[in-house]
Amino acid sequence: MKKINVLGLITFFVLVLVNLPFLVIIPSSFTAAGYLAFPPEGFSWQWYEMILDRPEFIDSLWFSLKLATVTAILATFLGTLAAFALSKYKFRGSGIINALMLSPLTVPSLIIGISALLFFTRIGIAGTFTGLLLAHMLISIPYVVRLVLTGLSSFDYTLEKAGYMLGAHPLRVFWDITLPLLRPAIVSGMIFSFLTSFDNVTVSLFLVAPDTTTLPLAIFTYMQETLDPLVASISSVVILLSLVFIVLLEKVYGLERLFGLNSQSH
Amino acid sequence: MSKRLSVTLLTAPAMILLLGVFILPMLMMLMLSFQDENQAFSLHNYSLFVQDPYYLEILWRTIRVSLWTVLASLLLGFPVAMYMAQATGKMRGIVTMLILAPHLISVVIRNFGWVVVLGEKGWINETLISLGLIDQPLRLLYNELGIVIGLTDSFIAYMVLAIATSLYAIDPSLNKAASILGASRMRTFFSVTLPLCLPGIIAGTTLVFSLSMSAFVTPALMGGTSVKVLPVIAYEQIMATLNWPLGAALAFLLLGSTILLVTLYTKLIETKRYKEVFAS
Repeated sequence: MKKINVLGLITFFVLVLVNLPFLVIIPSSFTAAGYLAFPPEGFSWQWYEMILDRPEFIDSLWFSLKLATVTAILATFLGTLAAFALSKYKFRGSGIINALMLSPLTVPSLIIGISALLFFTRIGIAGTFTGLLLAHMLISIPYVVRLVLTGLSSFDYTLEKAGYMLGAHPLRVFWDITLPLLRPAIVSGMIFSFLTSFDNVTVSLFLVAPDTTTLPLAIFTYMQETLDPLVASISSVVILLSLVFIVLLEKVYGLERLFGLNSQSH
Repeated sequence: MSKRLSVTLLTAPAMILLLGVFILPMLMMLMLSFQDENQAFSLHNYSLFVQDPYYLEILWRTIRVSLWTVLASLLLGFPVAMYMAQATGKMRGIVTMLILAPHLISVVIRNFGWVVVLGEKGWINETLISLGLIDQPLRLLYNELGIVIGLTDSFIAYMVLAIATSLYAIDPSLNKAASILGASRMRTFFSVTLPLCLPGIIAGTTLVFSLSMSAFVTPALMGGTSVKVLPVIAYEQIMATLNWPLGAALAFLLLGSTILLVTLYTKLIETKRYKEVFAS
């Protein structure tokens, strides 16, 4: 007789538990009833059609996608440059710069959000795209720096030297040798930044205005007043979109490696 | 190009962002928290916290909810980490993926899923009523229990990872040695595995505690309006009451108490470990 694996059972239970929210949201978005129910009653696309009648969700979805894309590109660019300097050159103060780059992870989002609101109000960019972009870049850069630094720690600089010796231009060496070797780290930094921005609520909460609202916040606000299957259908859209990026991240870098890096922070 | 110039050019953009959007605003916030209505220096916002039992009660609730969250994630997360450490390549990968992926989907959405499950007309209550086990719906949401469930779901991944990482590092031959020397599996666990993964447990518990203390989306959505924690109060002072100095002070008090508690905890454990080492 096979012995029952207690650890396996508990693990299965926990895995069901952490995935339960998605297991109930997606089915209940297809309900034919006029109210939120699980298990759903009947089948219909009506709550998905309803999204199209709600400009606040459509507009905020576009806004979130735009914000996350620009955040990902700029944060990856800035973070990669800084990581290059930290890895390639030994200089005085590099320890301090390194600590500073990672510092936004050690401070609660609550404080980052409030302080950004105070400062942005004073310089007049509170509630604008620019304000949200700067704040989202700030919370994404630490991840990029960590990922690229890890990528660079195993980087063989003799390959660059070989390129120079063969007479290649520094830019050519960078483009043809350095960049391709670091591509997994840079690409995953970019995807992770995208997800960080796309999912964020805690910092955005302080920085949005009625016409510059991100999707998670539109859902957050709607949820506090009404709980109907519309929240389920719009959430399912977000789950699906996030899932695409999560699978991509798993393929490019591996989630385990990624989280091993940031398990000390939030 | 000189080394100095390269370093400056490469780090400057990120450094400007960090100093301008993070360090400077935080200093401004700190200064603001020491201001009264007339913008004069005052400790009023901080002394209010000690004088008014309302705030102390809320701080105590925040700590209580966080401690329950730590306990729940430890009890549920430890077996998962053990399982991951014993599992072979493919299975370990699947478990890792299933525990981490939810973490990359917005907390608002995960909380909404829990509302569907735990609500008054939610899945659990409807099922129990239709089975005739209860007459009145159970109150699983909009109380401290709801917050603890939501926070545990949010942060258990950190606990699992911290413990699993320390378990991976244990040399398997140690377990073998213990059993060769005649130790039972129970004994091996308590004398070999547990002490060796203690750093992982400490890291996991402190991390989950700190995250729970400053969480406010889950408490706002799953705790409702009657059960408030300190981050929610700070948020309301900033966004609703518009008393920014008080809101800023509350946020710093929260951070201060979290750091204090975490330091005490790690000190306590370290001392105990030294005693164990020198006593034996």
